Amino acid sequence: MSFDVLFNQFMSGIARAALLFLVASGLSLTFGVLRVLNFAHGSLYMLGAFLSYTIWKFILMPVLGFYIAAIITAIILGLIGIVIEFFLLRRLYARGWPEQLLATYAVILIITDIVKYGWGGEFLSIPRPKPFTGAVFLFGFPFPSYNFFIILLGLALVVFLWWLIFRTRFGDIIRAAAHDREMVSALGIPIPWLFTWIFVLGAMIAGLSGAVTAPFGSVALGMDIEIIVECFAVVVIGGMGSLPGTLLGSFIVGEVYAFGIMFKPELALAFIFIVMAVVLIVRPWGIFGRPER
Amino acid sequence: MEEKGSMVKKGWWLILLLILFLVAPYFMSEFYLSILCEALVMSMLALSFNLLFGYMGQLSFGQAAFYGLSGYTVAMLVTKVHFNFWLSIIAGVLVASIIGAIVGYFCVRLRGIYFAVLTLAFGQLLFVIIYKWHNFTGGDDGIQGVFPPEFLKSPTTYYYFLLFVFIASTYVLWRIIRSPFGQTLKSMRENSERTEFLGINIARYQLIAFVIAAAFAGLAGAIWVPFYRSVAPFYLMWIKSGEPVMAAILGGPSLFFGPVLGMFIMTFFHAWVLGFTIYWPVVMGALILLIIFFLPGGILGFAEEKWQQRKESKRE
Repeated sequence: MSFDVLFNQFMSGIARAALLFLVASGLSLTFGVLRVLNFAHGSLYMLGAFLSYTIWKFILMPVLGFYIAAIITAIILGLIGIVIEFFLLRRLYARGWPEQLLATYAVILIITDIVKYGWGGEFLSIPRPKPFTGAVFLFGFPFPSYNFFIILLGLALVVFLWWLIFRTRFGDIIRAAAHDREMVSALGIPIPWLFTWIFVLGAMIAGLSGAVTAPFGSVALGMDIEIIVECFAVVVIGGMGSLPGTLLGSFIVGEVYAFGIMFKPELALAFIFIVMAVVLIVRPWGIFGRPER
Repeated sequence: MEEKGSMVKKGWWLILLLILFLVAPYFMSEFYLSILCEALVMSMLALSFNLLFGYMGQLSFGQAAFYGLSGYTVAMLVTKVHFNFWLSIIAGVLVASIIGAIVGYFCVRLRGIYFAVLTLAFGQLLFVIIYKWHNFTGGDDGIQGVFPPEFLKSPTTYYYFLLFVFIASTYVLWRIIRSPFGQTLKSMRENSERTEFLGINIARYQLIAFVIAAAFAGLAGAIWVPFYRSVAPFYLMWIKSGEPVMAAILGGPSLFFGPVLGMFIMTFFHAWVLGFTIYWPVVMGALILLIIFFLPGGILGFAEEKWQQRKESKRE
């Protein structure tokens, strides 16, 4: 096995890691602040993918259409996020986590049927947008340039979230609320308002990541559970609610998957779980996670 | 002593129910009889789930994996190597228990939501392995033509067989919950720190309970597949794992028969809804939300609360 093959595989692992980070960061952010694990995060991602397809078809613009569709999708998902947070989760914060989990599970079932009803069961896909249509040659191997777009987007999100959480006043509040919700509330900061915004941010990221997966040609029913299980692996490995953990977890899962596929495609997912099991034995709360109280 | 008194009082309705179940095939259509069979089997799955959820306080979102795994074991043994039916069922339960021990080894290290996520992830892993390992398991085609022995081929006799297994395993689970072991599980649910200070190895107790639950889920799958004559990968899927969770919440997880009531309502409701729409998931989703918002504690939990209130107001 030569170096260039390995490097190529490594790069596709990075692209997968970037996509995983896009989805898992929203999941992790919501959990970190709200302490609610949103089972339906993958469904929001799936809804984003289907919506962006319809919007893209509707606006019919050759180059910008894809990007505009992605942005509109993110905004629509943000609105859906408001509805879910305001009418559902808000009423359940005082209740136990099993009820919260089951409520988001109900949202999965509802969104699945909405997608089934609205788009049917067929595979949809958007052609790759310019200027990311071709391939880049890395050591003589073609590497889809769209993957670079995903990697760049992932990096942009890392920088944005880092800036938001560590360099703004809103971020100070987020970190404080994740640490001690009651104290923040006592200082006069409206916690319900904060929770709504965090959930909306998570939903928008989910919608955006759904929209940018459409050119991979895998928009179909079932993509929600596929991604959410891998995202669970990401956050369990990295530590739930930790952003650096999510980044590292995405990298590990993406690379293990990429090299696992090269080794034995049927068992690629199993390799991820073996890594997860090893991490759990050494650090049950993930690499960057904090022990639960 | 009080418990014994209530047992005697409760005895009459248990006998009434038993008689109802025994005569059911005589005035039920074959379609509803098969729904009844499904309800019995799924109730076993729900009871096994509730041993973990209602009594140990841990929510497993991967219980269907053991159900499906055992079903696959039976299907493969019966169709591929024409193994003895009874031994196949035992083999199914064994496979479910062994895999349950491996999965449980990792899961019992975690609590609460982390436990739920990990069981879900492991369940999906098993699902994906079965789904993708096409030349061994048949992939998404599943396995057809799993027949029970000749004398169990009629639905009515198979129903009595299912009923017998259901009653026997319900009794065993009841005894387990009433045993010192079951009391220890409950104490871990109430306060795991104190229980640990009593010198109890929590992880070990939870692992044993996890394996017991996997075994009963496996038994349910093992006896269902020969009745349905086939098995498919979705038996292991998390949507299936969500059904016992919902049944427990619907019926009331704090009561032994809560999940059974929930599963019976769900199964018959499902059969009825499928008569006019294929959009069952959205109905189920709406139902879950309704229960969470309006019936916390489930149906039996709600009924018991009302009954307690009445008793208290009478005492005054």
